[in-house]
Amino acid sequence: MPDTPALDVEGLTVRYGDTVAVDALDLRIPRGETVALLGANGAGKSSTLNAALGLFRPAAGRVRLLGREPGEAIRAGGVGAMLQHGGLPGETRVGEVLTLVRRRYADPWPVEDLLTTAGIEGLLGRQVDALSGGQRQRVLLALALAGAPPLLVLDEPTSAMDVEGRQVFWTTMRGLAARGHTVVFATHHLDEADAVADRVVVVDAGRVVADGSAAGIKSRVAGRTVRFRCPGPRAGLTALPGVTAVGGVGELVELATSDAEGTLRALLAERAELPGLEVRGATLEQAFLHLTTRPTDERSAR
Amino acid sequence: MTDLLLFQLRRVGRNRQYVFFTIVLPALFTILFTQVFGAQATTAGGQQDYGRLYVVSMMAYGAIGAALGATIRLAFDRSTGWLRQLRVVPVPPGTALAVDVAVGALLVLPSLVVVALVGRFVNGVDLGLGSWLGLVAVLWAGSVVFVALGIALGTALDSQAAGAATGILGTALAALGGLWWPVDILPSALVTVAHATPSYWYAQLGRDVVAGHAPSVPTVLVLLAFAAVFSAAALVVSRRRPLHAVAG
Repeated sequence: MPDTPALDVEGLTVRYGDTVAVDALDLRIPRGETVALLGANGAGKSSTLNAALGLFRPAAGRVRLLGREPGEAIRAGGVGAMLQHGGLPGETRVGEVLTLVRRRYADPWPVEDLLTTAGIEGLLGRQVDALSGGQRQRVLLALALAGAPPLLVLDEPTSAMDVEGRQVFWTTMRGLAARGHTVVFATHHLDEADAVADRVVVVDAGRVVADGSAAGIKSRVAGRTVRFRCPGPRAGLTALPGVTAVGGVGELVELATSDAEGTLRALLAERAELPGLEVRGATLEQAFLHLTTRPTDERSAR
Repeated sequence: MTDLLLFQLRRVGRNRQYVFFTIVLPALFTILFTQVFGAQATTAGGQQDYGRLYVVSMMAYGAIGAALGATIRLAFDRSTGWLRQLRVVPVPPGTALAVDVAVGALLVLPSLVVVALVGRFVNGVDLGLGSWLGLVAVLWAGSVVFVALGIALGTALDSQAAGAATGILGTALAALGGLWWPVDILPSALVTVAHATPSYWYAQLGRDVVAGHAPSVPTVLVLLAFAAVFSAAALVVSRRRPLHAVAG
């Protein structure tokens, strides 16, 4: 079944009480891709990944991992995962936990290489309760990799790591991707998504708001913001050259544009005045926010 | 399953507190209580009676602590995230729970055997080999009640409450169920309370065997009822709050 996607989510809806965490989300990830789920905290990344792993039953939707039910795919040894709320058992040594988990797989990752890859050489004899946050995270990575699974699902894997730890971690991930593993990870760090992923899926309010190559997303991110006050009608603004999104509050119009010059030329040609005109370069963060926080009327119109 | 079972047995077995409260303490109490209460007996036969009573009570006490202590730990494994982690490892569904039930049941045996040996060789309790084996067998079988109770509490409570419950519950069941002193010496109100505890009926299994007959039907029925209620509670709680659900 090599043609079946590594991860296939259709119409996934997750609710917590009245809150909709994931809203009819579709996501298909072919084998071998490295995909970042990028979004702010609470955007629905974790809920999507947890539902995909079968950790809870979603309100609606269908999930397949490697063409199977999540639980089945996991039991077949096809999936490794680092969870946000996963952890290690107390009163054990790292080596014992690793041995236990490796033995669950028919064809586990060779142990020496696994230790080097996860960066936990020398930790095998360590009490689990005595690990630092970063060490703990690396042991959890080793558990995720223990079965050399074709699909890796990582939920904010670097949250407890320092800068150096992060770099080592992502070097490892690039190595895995090069060996053909499918890597799906959630992050709220743009730089991580940019450096590692072939494809970036931006999630906001439980929906996919952008999906493309890191470079493509970056070009939207690297655009400019043109602002001015506009008391009158706004029709046609989206059709201006370069404009990727229209936002703003009250009279203030905010145009995200990939071609500030073209946008301005067109604006000046059709309007007598542009009160309060500003052209700003968007930082990565600003532009990401621009992607993910649109005015509600625009979102409901989509 | 075997891997996980051995893994869990090792973890609990190397916990010194667990070993102390489920094996060492009941063994020491067996000697102490028999000395204290046995001293009141004026005849050798009377002393023998106290020796028998306390070896049964302390076997029950140790077994209850062992069964509860080994199973309430579910709450700790949930709070660390280990049970959630196990969900993304190839382990058949229900294995983690089944293993903890087995661990609870198995770890009852050392308590029973050690206390029985202390009763026989330190206190000189005089029973035939058949009675000793019967005693261990019925108390082992009956411990299912406390394994079920521990699983129910382990799934329902957070780790702090679970830690407290292990100690408090073992003590309360022993004190109220008449394991630390004979129920006969209690005022009638407390006798009524004792009869409402599963620990009283559990020890009654052993007292029946020591008296030379099989456990009575009412004793067995009461214990089955307790086991059914606790198992049902465990089932209901784990449906609502699966083992891999995030703690809190």
